Amino acid sequence: MGDPLQDAISTVQDVDWTPETNASPNVCQLQKLLYRRMMVGVNDGRFFAGSFNCIDKQGNIILQDALEYRPIRRSSPSPYEQRCLGLILIPASCRTSCHVEASLEEQLSGLSIAPQESTQFQEDGNNI
Amino acid sequence: MEAVADGGGLPPSSFERTGWVDVSHLIEAACADLQEGELIHGENFSLFAAMSALEIMDPKMDSGMESVGYRSVEEAIGDGAAPVNLDVQSTIDVMDHLLACEATWHKGHSLAQTVYSCIYLLQIERTSSHALLHSYCRIIHATCNALISAVSDARTHEEEDLFVMAYGLPMKREGDEKCLSILNSVEETINRQLRASKAPSSKKKILEGEESLQTNPDLEEGYCKAILSRLRFRKHFFHVLGCMRKPRGTGLELARKHIVSCLAELARVRKSSEFLTSTSYLPHGDDLEEKTTASGCNAVGFDVNINCRMLAPTPPRAIKILSWKKAIEYFEKLLHSLDVICSLHLDQMLEGVLHFVVQFQLSQPDLVARSYMQLLLVQDGKLFGRDPIIDVISRAAALPELSKNQEFQKTEFVVQLGKLVVNLLKVLCTNAAWQRRKLGKILQDWSVTSVQLELALEKEYKEVSNVSFDESSFIDLSKRLLAWAEEQTYWIASRFLVLGFELELYSSSEYCMVYWYMYIIYIRQLEIAQLKIVYNSDNSKRKGKKKRDCSKEAARDAQISSSILLLQCYICLSEGLAMMLAALSNEHKAFQPPNAFNTEEERFIQHFELLQRAHVPSHISYYLFKEWIAPARNAGVMKDNYFRDVQRISTLLRSRIPEDSEKLTEIRQIEQVAEHNRIAVNVINQARSYGSSLRVSFEFSQHPFFAVAVVKRS
Repeated sequence: MGDPLQDAISTVQDVDWTPETNASPNVCQLQKLLYRRMMVGVNDGRFFAGSFNCIDKQGNIILQDALEYRPIRRSSPSPYEQRCLGLILIPASCRTSCHVEASLEEQLSGLSIAPQESTQFQEDGNNI
Repeated sequence: MEAVADGGGLPPSSFERTGWVDVSHLIEAACADLQEGELIHGENFSLFAAMSALEIMDPKMDSGMESVGYRSVEEAIGDGAAPVNLDVQSTIDVMDHLLACEATWHKGHSLAQTVYSCIYLLQIERTSSHALLHSYCRIIHATCNALISAVSDARTHEEEDLFVMAYGLPMKREGDEKCLSILNSVEETINRQLRASKAPSSKKKILEGEESLQTNPDLEEGYCKAILSRLRFRKHFFHVLGCMRKPRGTGLELARKHIVSCLAELARVRKSSEFLTSTSYLPHGDDLEEKTTASGCNAVGFDVNINCRMLAPTPPRAIKILSWKKAIEYFEKLLHSLDVICSLHLDQMLEGVLHFVVQFQLSQPDLVARSYMQLLLVQDGKLFGRDPIIDVISRAAALPELSKNQEFQKTEFVVQLGKLVVNLLKVLCTNAAWQRRKLGKILQDWSVTSVQLELALEKEYKEVSNVSFDESSFIDLSKRLLAWAEEQTYWIASRFLVLGFELELYSSSEYCMVYWYMYIIYIRQLEIAQLKIVYNSDNSKRKGKKKRDCSKEAARDAQISSSILLLQCYICLSEGLAMMLAALSNEHKAFQPPNAFNTEEERFIQHFELLQRAHVPSHISYYLFKEWIAPARNAGVMKDNYFRDVQRISTLLRSRIPEDSEKLTEIRQIEQVAEHNRIAVNVINQARSYGSSLRVSFEFSQHPFFAVAVVKRS
């Protein structure tokens, strides 16, 4: 006791952040995507790929072990230059796209990823 | 599904048979369903850790943010940002800007944002067609490598760790050793061109084979001179760095010669600015003082953001490159500091070396100079790379037996003492703030070693009878070693306290307790010094010294007595100041600490905790301090006349010391402090009897850590 920093950490950790049990199907689905590799594009043309760690109501995303991909204008063998960044926070305001990695089977079934209400419509769209 | 992309403009996914699936809509929908303040996160999530996440598109955190500059070196070159066919004026500008960058680097910015913002340096091979530029880039590169290796070897850069970071930069390159020969041949060529330009026109025909730097014959000489001085500065500077790293300090003499040449060339470089500004077409109204080149023109071939993607360890803030004039001043200071290091007399006692380093630090030398100081002091675990530490200690403690006695050397505490001395020397070369913190910590190691020594003294006294050397000598040796170790401990303690003044860590309401503590430390130092004299006299009596030794001893005694007198001055000064401050606080309610945040006792602990933990000295507490200052009154300070005592002792001291200018300055400063404060005490006392009110403040106008009272009518 006595160390204010330690106290602050324990208070932060004590708070129960788990979502309520009566969460919406969309929230449940997004929750299933936690720890998956997620690729987020931002408005200056870069992409960030990392393990999906957290998202808040405003849509700010935290990725773990993230890599930055930066397009190079005069291209060398690879059109991207990458570097390791670690834990990053991507504000919703600069996010332009968001993809998660999925196996071909999942892609084919298509079910687990799309938002619930629109599933039917999406599948229809695909069939056309 | 909206998009099942397997590539399609995105970077590749990590496994085969996987692809990217767009989830933007899902995220949008889920976020709408979330409650305010609710998060979706896994089990291992911690909000505290999340706070340290790098925020993308935050200009202060995200170094990869799209900036206006080029995205790669190739792109910059392709865009013509660094043309190789530079004319002579532009080449000089590049040289000057590089010098400014180099100084900025030394001052604590990263290499990538300073020197290596030069596109020519990033691809040196490109410049090979331009001999002059090529040779200059090569030597800059070699110099940077030499400096990085020196600073990282010395490890004096704890808080300035950007200096050695060179991630991703092309630092390892073949042919660094050739840089001098390349430079020499270019220098030779320019020298010939200079001669040609000076030659009367009749002779010019003979020299016509030579190419000139540019087309205007009237300017040729000025350009040649400007370039020559720059090349020669680089050459000598590189030599200085090389000589200073020669083992056992063997290159110091040569280094000094190169430093002299270096400074001379630097003066010529500075002077060349007149010529260069006259030939350049500078837009009016531009401030030359702020420019990074001598001519005032902007140098081509630099892009501050070119390495920004390599700068993961540095925040992506914009930095300001020092001006060219400031850079020259910096290099002059650096060379002077290096010259001071080279002037170190390698045959002196440890005490002298410690004093030298402390004096050296007074000029606040920068990182590079401090690193070279440390590299000279400690090489291969030996002092100057040649004196084993054990011999250094034996000389410093005046224990010739120690270096002969192999058995005693192997004892744990002697080995430990050796390590502590090496560590102390290294710590003294770090910057003031870091140094103070480290000194506070190593104090404990010193005091623990002293305690061990004491214990060993008692214990081994019993076992010693079956050891090969006689017990009385063992006891004697240990005792004197103990006295020496304590002496060092108190020296470190006083340095620790004094550094607090340099770093402005004490507020004026705390001066009283600091001076009081210093007084206690000095008293202990005096006691130990006197103890040493007793030991020495015992020793010489027992041995019946030869005549020659006696004269040596006499010189030593004179030195001891002068250092004792100096200590007495310090004692009187610190006691006087502590009493004066206490009296002011007791009688005038001046220098009372504000109680809003912490009590006086808490501050006492904050300042002296490390000393008390190391028992330097033991049984010192806040209550002792309070007890001591409680009766302090101005009249008492007048009567005890501490400052008059200082003046008395200093006169005595003056007669004892030889024409040693450094010590004389110290004495003069002390006398000034004493005189000012003596008068101040009188004035305060008189004002009190007349009932007028005064305002007293303290400043360090006469001495770095003994304050002078300034009295004003309020």
